Amino acid sequence: MDRLDWAVLAAYMVAIVAFGVWAGRGNQRIDEFFLAGRRMRWWAVGLSVMATQISAITFVGTTGQAYTDGMRFLVFYFGLPFAMVVLCVTVVPFFYRARVFTAYEYLEKRFDLKTRTLTSLLFLFGRGLSVGVTLYAPSLVLSVILGWSETTTILLMGGSTIAYVIYGGNRSVIWTDVVQMAIIWFGIFLCFGVAIAQLPAHFGLRDALALAHTTGRLRIMDPSPSLTAPYTLWSGLVGGFFIMLSYFGCDQSQVQRYLAGSSLTQSRLSLLFNAFLKVPMQFLILLTGVLVFVFYHFHTPPLLWNVVEMRKLESAAPPELPGVRARYEAALAARREAAESFAQGGRPAGAAAYLAANQEVDAARRQAIALVEGLNGGKRYNDTNYIFPSYVLANLPAGLAGLVIAVIFAAAMSTLSGEFNSLATATMIDFYKRFVRPAASDADDLLVSRILTALWGGFAVLVALQAGRFGSAIETVNRFGSYVYGPILGIFALAVLAPGASARGAFWGGIAGEAVVCWLVLRSPVHFLWYTLIGAAAVFAIGLVISAALRAEAA
Amino acid sequence: MEDTGRAPTPDDHDPVPIFGTWRRIYAAVVVCAVLVMGLVALFSSWPY
Repeated sequence: MDRLDWAVLAAYMVAIVAFGVWAGRGNQRIDEFFLAGRRMRWWAVGLSVMATQISAITFVGTTGQAYTDGMRFLVFYFGLPFAMVVLCVTVVPFFYRARVFTAYEYLEKRFDLKTRTLTSLLFLFGRGLSVGVTLYAPSLVLSVILGWSETTTILLMGGSTIAYVIYGGNRSVIWTDVVQMAIIWFGIFLCFGVAIAQLPAHFGLRDALALAHTTGRLRIMDPSPSLTAPYTLWSGLVGGFFIMLSYFGCDQSQVQRYLAGSSLTQSRLSLLFNAFLKVPMQFLILLTGVLVFVFYHFHTPPLLWNVVEMRKLESAAPPELPGVRARYEAALAARREAAESFAQGGRPAGAAAYLAANQEVDAARRQAIALVEGLNGGKRYNDTNYIFPSYVLANLPAGLAGLVIAVIFAAAMSTLSGEFNSLATATMIDFYKRFVRPAASDADDLLVSRILTALWGGFAVLVALQAGRFGSAIETVNRFGSYVYGPILGIFALAVLAPGASARGAFWGGIAGEAVVCWLVLRSPVHFLWYTLIGAAAVFAIGLVISAALRAEAA
Repeated sequence: MEDTGRAPTPDDHDPVPIFGTWRRIYAAVVVCAVLVMGLVALFSSWPY
């Protein structure tokens, strides 16, 4: 990076921590610390909800995914607008009027203490395990890109986020999220504009889209009814709908954002704001990834995007490497030529030649990947997350590259801040104040809340520092949310939609539903987008049956 | 302690912006979402 890029990145880090501390000044009670005094406007909460949801890996991962595979991932968000409407009609009014701190607190009012405790524990388990990965994944990418150690990026990102969340609580989280989301939006438009501007003069946007279309990268709507295929229209609409219901309706990291709204109207509007904007935003991010793919038809992409692994491969110098490199370079030249003739009116006849050339590029890269995997004892190599940051650093003007790296930091920190804050809230409200010290003074409560925030932040940093040793287990942990979302959603569905559901029905339904999800994870090929729907349906059905059976027995 | 699970009585008197009623806002969100999906389908299958 250029000096100007470093200056921009440093300015962002210093400014965001200072702003977070300033925005969160004056907390005297835990309702101010955890719910920003319930005084926030819809647009601030809406941007905070959006910022918490978009993590750094969403940002760099989906652009990379669009580059390698296409825009299919967009369907994951198709269920979101419908989920937001359902939440505004159902749980949001319940939460808001119950004046709760956590979503799980409401379950004690509706059912009993053990159902509340079980659900809060499921949240702490799922979110607590994944928060370290939320920190580790972008830190790893940034450490490779910036040439820093992983420890440095983890401590910088985790430490600075912990600093302002400890001091200012939810108010700091929301206001820094607003700034971070503004930076992220600016970064998205900037990258999109630069990607279009950097296409060759004779190669317009329509040609770029035609090329991407030929490779299938613009194919978003897959109507396959398969339960095992990833990102079909139905898994996005139906499976995604239930995931979004659970994430925005029952995950404390999101619920806590809109509980800070100054009225029910403000809380609802914050969610509907996301319903309108989320799909177009994700579309732009993915399309930027596709344009980067086209861009690299006219500029030479590296053989491997992870520079550390590339250097390792070059040092080991396997005898096949020169041949692989020569094949790759020849394939790139042939692909460029095929793309040019395709654009100069060679469609559709030129499509076949172009596709063959593109497949040859992929084949050469697969050979290089096989060499890296051989060098690493068979460990799977995937460099999707490195594509976008590498493109930014190599091709954006000085200053703007630093700004986009700051966007990646912003995306990571906005998610982490919401997670630290919500984990501390659930621990404080559902456990400490419920079981340990229900009637402590405001000052004591505030102190314990800050200590819990520090402990969860420290835990995330520790997990992130050790995460490299866990290898492929990380992928599993990263999907942990989908293992617990179904049962949590099922319990809330019983609470809101089934007046006849009893506390014992909800509790044992929750346990049975979690067992069903465990079985799906361990024993079935069903794609994870369906876990939430199946888990929630199991809890709802089993909970209703148990409630009915207990009623019949009592009668 | 168990309650009935029925929705509490509305106690929020903030005016509903632009659309006037919540029902209209929800309808606008659904129409907009369907429209966006339609545009995405068109984008996805357009013969460039």
